[in-house]
Amino acid sequence: MTQFVLGIDFGSTTGKAVILDSNGNMVAAEVSQKGAVSDESVRVALGAALRHAGLQLDQIARTVSTGYGRRMVEMADRTVTEISCHARGAAHLIPGVKLVIDIGGQDSKVIALDDDGLVVRFAMNDRCAGGTGKYFETLARALNVGIDEMGPMALKATLDMQVTSMCATFAETEVIALLAEGATKIEVLGGVHAAMAKRTLGLISRVGKRDPVAMTGGVARNPAAVHHIEKALETRLILPEQPQIAGALGAALFALDDLRDQAVATPLPKAIPMDDNDLHGVEEIEGSSAPACKSKAN
Amino acid sequence: METLSMNITAATQKKSNRLQTTKLNNRMVSEYWESLFRAPEEGRLVCWYEGIQLNPILQAADIAWCHGEAMSALLAARHEEGPSQQAAEEAGYDRELCSYARTHVGCAVMTQRSTPEEVSSLPADSSELKGLASRIPVPDMIISAYPFCSTGQQWDDVIYRTFGKKVPIFNISMPWIWGNKPSAKYMSGPEFRESVDFMVKQLKECIRFIEAITGKPYDHDRLNEVMTYIKRAAEIRLEAMDLCKARPSPANFFEWTNSIAPVNFLPGGQEIVDYFEKKKAEIQQRINEGVGSVPEEKYRLFWDGIMNWNKIGWLADKFAQYDACVVSGRYTHLGFWQEPQVIDLESPLDGMAQNFLTCPISISAPQVTEKIVQHCRDFEIDGLLLHGARTCRAFSYPQHLIADAVGKRLNMPVAMFEGDMVDESYYKDEIVNSRVEAMLEQIEARRARSA
Repeated sequence: MTQFVLGIDFGSTTGKAVILDSNGNMVAAEVSQKGAVSDESVRVALGAALRHAGLQLDQIARTVSTGYGRRMVEMADRTVTEISCHARGAAHLIPGVKLVIDIGGQDSKVIALDDDGLVVRFAMNDRCAGGTGKYFETLARALNVGIDEMGPMALKATLDMQVTSMCATFAETEVIALLAEGATKIEVLGGVHAAMAKRTLGLISRVGKRDPVAMTGGVARNPAAVHHIEKALETRLILPEQPQIAGALGAALFALDDLRDQAVATPLPKAIPMDDNDLHGVEEIEGSSAPACKSKAN
Repeated sequence: METLSMNITAATQKKSNRLQTTKLNNRMVSEYWESLFRAPEEGRLVCWYEGIQLNPILQAADIAWCHGEAMSALLAARHEEGPSQQAAEEAGYDRELCSYARTHVGCAVMTQRSTPEEVSSLPADSSELKGLASRIPVPDMIISAYPFCSTGQQWDDVIYRTFGKKVPIFNISMPWIWGNKPSAKYMSGPEFRESVDFMVKQLKECIRFIEAITGKPYDHDRLNEVMTYIKRAAEIRLEAMDLCKARPSPANFFEWTNSIAPVNFLPGGQEIVDYFEKKKAEIQQRINEGVGSVPEEKYRLFWDGIMNWNKIGWLADKFAQYDACVVSGRYTHLGFWQEPQVIDLESPLDGMAQNFLTCPISISAPQVTEKIVQHCRDFEIDGLLLHGARTCRAFSYPQHLIADAVGKRLNMPVAMFEGDMVDESYYKDEIVNSRVEAMLEQIEARRARSA
């Protein structure tokens, strides 16, 4: 009988869920954004994943959670940090990858991998959301553009405008000042993305540049972010089809390891209850989650 | 890929196995500060200083002393740092300033009784005004001898200005040991010898400064006697630290942090020798009985950086919960009379200067890195944890270099996190959790691969 495992990434602004079958095939992958460290986004992602997989929660044999909220996922059999999970997930999606740049809602990390896909070194931002999804959200509001419009607009910039503030809050002030001086939104956006790339380069330098390089996390969906990081790094980035699920996929792969080893996990501290009843609201907010992805994950 | 067991879960019921001897240290520290508070009524002059261990020089002249970092650390450890930090900030000393300096400057402000309104408006019998921070006696002299850190040097000047520029101040310039010439080795080479000679010359001038204030000839025999006790205490301490190569380690970094006082600022006497004898004996007994400083030692870690003084006990228990023993650290194991063998008790100034100039922020990154690499090999360290104190650039500046060099040379997992030495607001628990857990997962993964 086929069994299923679940990986949950309880991130700073999004919840992600990936379901694998016992042969390692990915049967569902969902992303939901509801706000900072919100269990609701995890419930939505999980509910959508189960629905797309045609499963009930009690059919999940093993669950591993990751992300900052990993200890809040009561159903998890164990937790693994997002460093290990992102590395595992990215190495699975892109065999042979040596450097993973993950820029999410509030955190950014760079992970160097060895030939076996194991973490060699990592670096993370420290209590500063500069250059992360939160940074772009703030600026999108300041510039009155859609978050998904920012990247395509920024790619049209030609002037290399300098945006010096990396603070997600103070960058808003600087951007408003630039607009008041007559700068166009396109040029400001170009400068903002270049600044983010420079900051990312600093994080990469702490780990050491190596090839091939992949980018994961929500900001990887921003073409201008990718372009400017590629320019700063002088190398092409490999982008997985669904860049936000790397962590949840890694968690699911660890769950699959457990299933295959029949390892017994230590129960985690009690947290937010999450049972089938909590998933009934999924249908109302279906539009906020990404479609299921069926791909072979061996 | 083979299955990797990386179930890093904090077992919250586990606690660090504290040494009994540490209680003795706590008592000695309390008694010392009380004796300082009584110094004016006992007719003793008081010196304020920061940085290197000038206390034996002062002790020989029967001068009481207040070591700035020690007072700041004490306040933080007792969670009494709030009023002085607030007083300093209100007096214009920014939160980004070295928190040791900010806390101690706040003490100066409170001592001077020129406190800003919010603090001075407290009732006279308030526990805050009665707190440690406001009890330090006004200095009769200030001696500035801070290695490498320019903030430290300016800190003494700020104290001088806080007391109206009326307190005599003596400045000792401590050359930083660059160590980049081919002839420059750790504690040897022309560069080092020139720096030591320069330091000794200034220490002698400082002694003349003390004589001018006390009005008495300096008692060099007394200095020799004090240094006899300090040297012996330092030797025993190093022997006790060396015993922690044992598995499981009988003592951890947090224990050694709690035992800095006797080799940093407590008076040189039989008491500090006895303290380390007792500590060493207790550690040896643990080795004999196979008792470790954490309930289950799965990982041995090295801590680079200053301590979070507000959270020592809490951090000790945290690592115990992860089955990780923080065996040693740069702050504790590479500093505080770390080279006692060079002290000639007949003429101690040269050996003292050598120790001052080889404290962990006085030597260059390559020399520090080399010492850490060797230390990690000797103590069979599994992972390097770096605490970047937000307000201490002097300790933090080489940390990326150390992380990179040590990580590569020893093929060792490394994790860094930001915190602070006495400002708790810079410390965030979950950030530390994530990084420590990720490092422990790396250790597990490597072990699984090697198996």
